[in-house]
This record gives sequence, C-alpha cells and structure tokens, in this order.
Amino acid sequence: MRIASPEDLDAVRKIGLFKIQPDRPRIAVGLATCGIAAGGNELYDRLGSIIREGGYDIELTKSGCIGFCRQEPIVSVTIPHKPLVLLHHVTSDTAEDVIKGVLQEDIPKNLALCRVKEWDHITGMIQYGEGFETIPDYHEIPFFSNQHKIILRDAGFINPEDITEYIAAGGYSTAFSVLTGRDPDSVIDEVKRSGLRGRGGAGFPTGLKWEITKKAPGSEKFIVCNADEGDPGAYMNRNEMESDPHMLIEGMLIGAYAMGISEGLIYIRAEYPLAIERLRHAIREAKSYGLLGKEIFGTDFSFDIKIAIGAGAFVCGESTALVASIEGKIGRPHPRPPRLTDSGVWGRPTDLNNVETWCNVPVIMAKGAEWYSGTGVRGNSGTKVFSLVGKVDNPGMIEVPLGTSLHRIIYDIGGGGAGGKRVKAVQTGGPSGGCIPERFFNTGVDFESLLTMGSMMGSGGLVVMDEDTDMVDIARYFINFAASESCGKCLPCREGLKHTLLILNRILAGKAGVEDITLLETLADTIQATSLCGLGQTATNPVQTTLKYFREEYDALIVQDLPDGGR
Amino acid sequence: MDTTGHTVTITINKNQYQAVEGEILLEVARREKIDIPHLCYESSLSPYGACRLCMVEVVTCGKTEMTTACTVRVHRGLEILTDTPDVIRHRKILLELYLAEAPHSDVIKAMAIRYGVTKTRFLKKIVTGDPLLGRCVLCGLCVRVCNEIMGAGAIGFVNRGPYTIVSTPFLEENPACMGCGTCAAVCPTHAIGIEDTGEKRIMRSWSGTPVEMIRCAGCGGYIGPKPVMEYARSRIDPVMAEELQELCPACRRKQVTR
Amino acid sequence: MDEKRLDEIISRYDYPSGRILGILRDIQVSEGYIEKDLLRLLAEKIEVPVSRLYGLVTFYSFFSLQPVGRHIITLCMGTPCHVKGARTILATLEDLLGIKGEEESGKYFATTADNQFTVVIARCFGACSMSPVIQIDGNLYGYVTPEKIPEILAGYGWHP
Ligand SMILES: Cc1cc2nc3c(=O)[nH]c(=O)nc-3n(C[C@H](O)[C@H](O)[C@H](O)COP(=O)(O)O)c2cc1C
Ligand code: SF4
Ligand code: FES
Ligand code: FES
Repeated sequence: MRIASPEDLDAVRKIGLFKIQPDRPRIAVGLATCGIAAGGNELYDRLGSIIREGGYDIELTKSGCIGFCRQEPIVSVTIPHKPLVLLHHVTSDTAEDVIKGVLQEDIPKNLALCRVKEWDHITGMIQYGEGFETIPDYHEIPFFSNQHKIILRDAGFINPEDITEYIAAGGYSTAFSVLTGRDPDSVIDEVKRSGLRGRGGAGFPTGLKWEITKKAPGSEKFIVCNADEGDPGAYMNRNEMESDPHMLIEGMLIGAYAMGISEGLIYIRAEYPLAIERLRHAIREAKSYGLLGKEIFGTDFSFDIKIAIGAGAFVCGESTALVASIEGKIGRPHPRPPRLTDSGVWGRPTDLNNVETWCNVPVIMAKGAEWYSGTGVRGNSGTKVFSLVGKVDNPGMIEVPLGTSLHRIIYDIGGGGAGGKRVKAVQTGGPSGGCIPERFFNTGVDFESLLTMGSMMGSGGLVVMDEDTDMVDIARYFINFAASESCGKCLPCREGLKHTLLILNRILAGKAGVEDITLLETLADTIQATSLCGLGQTATNPVQTTLKYFREEYDALIVQDLPDGGR
Repeated sequence: MDTTGHTVTITINKNQYQAVEGEILLEVARREKIDIPHLCYESSLSPYGACRLCMVEVVTCGKTEMTTACTVRVHRGLEILTDTPDVIRHRKILLELYLAEAPHSDVIKAMAIRYGVTKTRFLKKIVTGDPLLGRCVLCGLCVRVCNEIMGAGAIGFVNRGPYTIVSTPFLEENPACMGCGTCAAVCPTHAIGIEDTGEKRIMRSWSGTPVEMIRCAGCGGYIGPKPVMEYARSRIDPVMAEELQELCPACRRKQVTR
Repeated sequence: MDEKRLDEIISRYDYPSGRILGILRDIQVSEGYIEKDLLRLLAEKIEVPVSRLYGLVTFYSFFSLQPVGRHIITLCMGTPCHVKGARTILATLEDLLGIKGEEESGKYFATTADNQFTVVIARCFGACSMSPVIQIDGNLYGYVTPEKIPEILAGYGWHP
C-alpha cells in the first residue's frame, strides 16, 4: 500500500500498534549483532519451538538492542495491560521458564531485569500497564536512569524489520507533515536553529552544510550517509541501523526534501552484514509504502536511496576518500578545496552526514528547534550516543545529553572499573582521540571540552582503561593502527607514523634513550602539522596525550646511559 | 587556468607581486624566483598535495595557517610566508623522513643539504633489489601521467600505508605498457629504469616489461616503441598517418624535401 | 568461479556508485579470495585497467589474493578487544593451529598446513561490549578466553 494521506498513515499505525501490543502475550528477543553473538538466535529458535510444540498463543518476534550489553541475551515480554518486562541473561536453558512465566503471568525473579509501565518514543507514547510491583522499575536501574534516550528511543522496543512498528511509534508522521506542509527552506532554518552539529566527529553545523549544498550550482546533487564507522570500539552507528533503520531513512528523506535532492547513498562498512541486510530490507519496505521512490506521500517530490559498501579501510570515513571509494577508486584523500558541497560524488555537489546526524533530524522536525536545544549545553545541543567499552563494569550502548561529565558516564552508568579495578583513563575519539586521565573525569563530553583536553569527540567510542593498562603500549597500539590504516599518499603520515611506531617499539623494548622521547615529540608535531587529511593530522593524539598525562610511564622505560644513543 | 583573468596583488614574505586570480601559488612563486621546495607538483596535472614539502603559511586577519603552496589559488590580498620558523622546522623533519625513505636518491640528498639537513635520525629503508633503486618518494607523478595523460593504466599504486609501492599488476610484466617512457621523464628522483636493447625496450622498474621497437622503413634503425607509434597513428588523420609511415626523423626529413 | 557466474555478479550492479567495489566484494564473499585470472577477466569485462583493480584489492583489507582454508577465523584487533587481551587470543590460536603470521603489516594472514583454517585480523565487528571477539565463518563469539578456544575450534572439526 502507498501512504498518501493522514488516514493512510493512521491505518498503518494501527496495524503496527497491534503488533507492539497484541491481544495476547508477546515475546521479543534482542537480535542485533551483539545479541546474536550472545546466543540470541539459538534462544529465538528455542522459544519458537516451545511455543509451536505447546500450541501456545504467544507472539514471538525480534527487537533491536536496548544497549545493556552485559545483560544479554535480553528478552522483552509484554502481557496485555501489564508493564513491559525486560528479562536478562536468558538462555536456551531458561527458555522454558520464560514461556511458563508468561503463561502464568508470573515472571521468574531471577530473569527479570526491570519493568516499563509506559514508554516515550518522543514521536509517540505507548502505555503498557500496571502490575509486577516486585520487579524494579526501569528508572530504578542506574544504567538506564542516568541516560537520556532520544536517538535510542525505539531501540529494543520495536521490531527493526517491520516498518509498521516504526510507524506505530510515530515514525514517518514527521516526514509526512514536512513534505506535505513545510517550505524546504524553513526546514533548513529549523535544523540550523536546533544547533545540531555533525556526529561524525568534527561537529560541523548540519543546517549550515545543508544550506551550502543547496546553494551550490547544479541541479543534480547527492546526499550521502557516512556509515563507515571505522573507529574500533565504536558501534553506535551499527546499533542505530540494526535497531531502528527507518529513523535513518526518515532523516535522510527530510534532509533530501529540504535540499531538493533526489538521490541518496549510504556508504556502509563491509564488516556490518546485519546492518546492511536490515537497511536493504527497510529500503524495500519504505518503497512499497511509497515513502521512497517517486511521488512520495502523493507529492511531486521523489527520492531514492542506494547502498554502497566499503571494503575495509578506516581512511574511507574521510570525506574525499569516501567519495573516491564510492566511485570505485582507491580511498586516497585529495586536498580540499574543492569541498564535497561543491564537487563530491561524480563531481556533483554532495552533502555528507554521519548516520547519527541524520537520525537527529526526525525529532528536531517533530518537536521543534527550541525543544531540541533544551537538551545539552550551550553550543552543543542534543544528546550523543556512546559505546562504553573496555575495562568498565557495565559495557554497553548509552545515550546522554552533550556536556555530561565523564565521571557520570563511567561511574554512574558504567559502574566503574570491571571487577572492582581502579579506572585509570578513558580514550575518546578512537585512534584520532586521546587518553584522558581519571583526574579529569569532571570534563563534560562536548566538542570543545574534549579538544581542550587534547582529545576529540570522534564518533563516540569510549574505551575505559584500568590500572593494569600500560599506556605506552596503548599509544603503540593506536600508532600501529593508524600506520596500517594510512592510505600512504602523503609523506608525514606514511613514513612519519612508521617511524613513530619504530621509536615506540624501541621504548617498549627498553632500548631507548631520552633523545628518543624528544624525537618522538618532534616527529608527532610535524605529522600533525603537515599531513594531508584528518587521519594523519590526528593520528599522533594518543602519543601526545599519553606523553602529557602519563609521562612517568615513558620515563620508567627509558634507559639513561645508552651506548651510542641506543642505535 | 580557470580564471577571469583579473590581475591581483598578493604578498609573499612581505613583498608584493602581481598574479592572475585563480593561479596556483606555487606557479607564481616559481615565476618570481621565490624558493619553495616541491616534488609532486606538475602544471599539466591537477594538484595532488602528497609530498608536503611546499608547506607555507597563509596569513588571514593576523592568524597564520599552514597549507601547501601547490593547492592554494591566488586571490586578492592573499598573504603568504614561506620561511617562518615553523615552516623551516617541519620541512627539515620531512626531509629527514625522505632521506630514510629514499636513501639512494642523490636528488633528495642534494635537496636536503640545500635546506640544511645532512643526515637523518630515522632508520633508513633497506632497499636491496628495489626496482626503483631506493629512490622512489611516491610523489605519484608516474602513475598520474600513465593514467591521466597517456591513458595506458600500465602502472598503479600497490598496497597502502608504509607498504605502498608503484608497480604493475601482480608485479608481473604488463602488456598495457606502451613503453613511452613518460613516467621516467617526469620522475623527480630519476628512479625509473629503462633499457633499450635494440629490438626491445625493457621497462626495468615495471617488472621488466618488454616492449617491441619499430624499425625505420628508410634506414632500418630502431625508432621507437611499436605501441606508441600505433597509439599516435590512431590519433591523427589516417591519410597523413599513411604518408608518414614508420620513418626516423632523418628519413622523414628526406621524404618531405623530396 | 566461471564466466557465467562472474557475468551474473556484474549484472547485479546497474548503478555506477559502489559498483566496482561491490563486484569485487561479491567475488571475495563467494570465493573467499580473488583469483588472478578472474581479476584480469573482470578488468576486461568492465573496461577498467588491471592495474586499477589490482590497486584496489591490495589497498582494501577486505580482499585477499591468496586462497583461504576451509574455515576462516577472524580475530578482532579493535581497541576494546586489544585492551581485553586480543593478543593472547592470537597467540593461543597460533599455538593451537601451528601457524605464524605477520601482525604488524595490518594484513595478517595465516593458513594451517592442512588447509582447514585461515586466521585473519579485523578491526572491530561492533560487538566490543563482549570483547575479545572472534568470528568463525560468520559466527561471532564474545568474551573469548584462551581456555575457551579449543572448545570453539572443536565445533569446526579441530582436534589437538
Ligand atoms: C580518517 C577519518 C575517518 C573518519 N571516519 C568517519 C566515520 O567512520 N564516520 C563518520 O561519520 N565520519 C567519519 N569521519 C568524518 C567525516 O570525514 C565527515 O566529517 C563526517 O562524515 C561528516 O558528517 P557530520 O557532519 O554529520 O559529522 C572521518 C574523518 C577522518 C579524517
Ligand atoms: S594523512 Fe595519511 S591517510 Fe591522509 S592522505 Fe596522508 S597518508 Fe593518506
Ligand atoms: S608540491 Fe605541494 S605537496 Fe607536493
Ligand atoms: S573492538 Fe573488537 S568488536 Fe569492536
């Protein structure tokens, strides 16, 4: 069916609502990549066969990931007029207990994590019900209560492979009202006023980029979604696409309309097969409902999205390399200008935005710029999704307002060091970022504060290091990463990082003298100042920050009187 | 040059110069004999920005920013500094890196000395058996002329990062090579080896690709690689091509005067 | 892969954006590697110089030019996995399988003598919360410890 009127949209919403809240119990297994790795598929099959064999009247379905990775596999259970209950650590062995509990309306204590009486999808509200008083409330769980979910509003609650559930949660109604009732320039204006900044790392104002692209001469242009997510330790974009792919599509649709562009591309990394599959499925669904393709919502606006898949190169997240890769070339950056907004994919003006940037668009248009900028801090409005990983007690996918302190993230949400160990530092911004020591955990995560610390926001990976982590080894790890991911075009990055690595190896082997540290500093400085693209320009941040904050660990490895300067 | 032809005044190291709007800064510097070292720029190709030796500082509203002279286009009021302490300091480190990467290049050694660098603190690359003789600096000129100008696509970059080299596919002889030698002509460090044996031209650096040579129909001497002749003939008027035949310059002159 | 199958793969891409890498990726996924003559044939069919395709397959780490073993073990070397001991996992795999690869180059590649297992390295599957992570023939295993490896490998026909 093609949606062309509010009535059509309403009819689909009803279908979806009946799936989220059927007149019988519903069990949804969290099946994003992480849930699957934790045994989610086996659990799903097991639950299916128990239900089939018993002939039970239970709806079994999939959901995305709610982010509490440590508790996986996570299952959500809804019994009509009762709260939704999240179950944790469910295995094939306890599948029977789950079914029994559902049938008897008595959830096993040991499996229950928390209950949700109502859920605010922001674009819509869902009331579940009262009851199960002995199970803790969602808001009593520190991992959840310290978060603020805007982007992750649907993740874990809806079936990402069913467009009707997204529509039931209020999805596509924003795109509908925008496409049928708003002037494109006013959309750009709204996004500008919201203060939304790019979530791909650099924090460029999104509305401004849209405006520049729109004003660029030429009629054939592209919008591109950067889903390369090459930063190891960051998986926000993966989860956003696997748990709520239509949010991305709706965001791109609104952006395309605002800029008057009819061709969209998603450049996604090959390491994310499930996200690719779910996106392809979602695009097909959107097309069949008339939400992509020709004459969307019965207007004369047309827009289509194609997928281009990367092939394993971190540098292809850089804008000019990404374009080269889409065009089937080696991902080597080229000097800017020309910027993508003047000459991008196939030489046409191109707007490039990160997955999460696009995902912010529907809520901004639904609730307005003022509402949106009410979250976050000055100049950094909205929330940011982070992957909190490494040696932290509660690793997972979290969302907090920009400006939230590292302390709150790592201790209040993350529960501190894994196994009670002392946390020593956190790496933000991946290989381009830096290590921030514990004593500066009052720093708020916003674009400027992190830069002041010598680090970067990056895409949102937070890797926690504890007292056992050797910081010089961490610096070596990142330089090794950057050197092997360097495209090899420009000298400072290609040769400079190689020699940085050799020096670090020498230090770690206890064969380096004081002059090696000096050389390391000088070299890092030149690489940063003279590299062609962002990869080289930021690659030495891990060395510079560890030298700045953990100098004693370097000094401990230095040999004082090396014959022949160590060589 | 894509310019409106406006002449503008720009400032380089506090002196004023006239230049055409849109012109590449490095070209202006060259014309005005202002020394800026560079390895990867060639006026017939689009700016590439890989060697990073041409770093200069642009002054805008009292603030300076490092950039490459080969990618900056001239506009009214542009102010440039080419020898600030920062530029000099970074340039020296880059030259040390080049000395380690291309330890056998005399061109690099001479350039380094010119800027006061006589030795490198970095471990020199081991280059025994290197078809490019330990002289390649990966400026990409050979690859670009082969692909963009000759359209042969015989060579390309292989691998990435510190492992990047220039070679033929599978490091094997490549029939796509026409033996034109443009690559060797543009190489700033004279790294590309070509050997003419008479009936064959051997592209030493390109996996020893042999290219057949053509004889002069008049005197019988070898005049050039056959694929290049065929390529040239396919591009000119067939009647003229027929008349010119395969003649060496001396025999052609004789034929024309006759 | 025969020519018919190659033609079929090429025919999947009627849109220029993402075409060349898409074709190469499909070949890699279907064969486990990209064979030399196939690359030459592809170059001819899509009218692109072989040197360009060769540049692509040696640049992007997703591609391999060497044949792989029956099972592919991909070890994650992303930051969280590194912090949580991926290097010991690699050492254990090398030990148990009797292989040795070059770690520094970023393109780790080692196949067992009996051609049953190939070990390669990846940078993050996005399952970092359960690091260290390995993937065998597309199946992810999280919270891996050296002790768990023999049991996991046994599921793929490995025995001491
Ligand atoms: C080496 C390098 C890797 C990058 N990787 C990514 C990436 O994986 N995802 C991303 O969205 N942006 C990445 N970026 C930033 C992009 O170039 C670009 O700034 C961003 O996609 C713009 O989108 P935004 O304005 O929405 O943030 C990378 C930049 C560099 C220099
Ligand atoms: S900085 Fe590194 S990745 Fe960027 S162009 Fe230079 S060599 Fe390539
Ligand atoms: S000449 Fe400017 S970077 Fe090489
Ligand atoms: S770092 Fe290993 S899965 Fe992300």
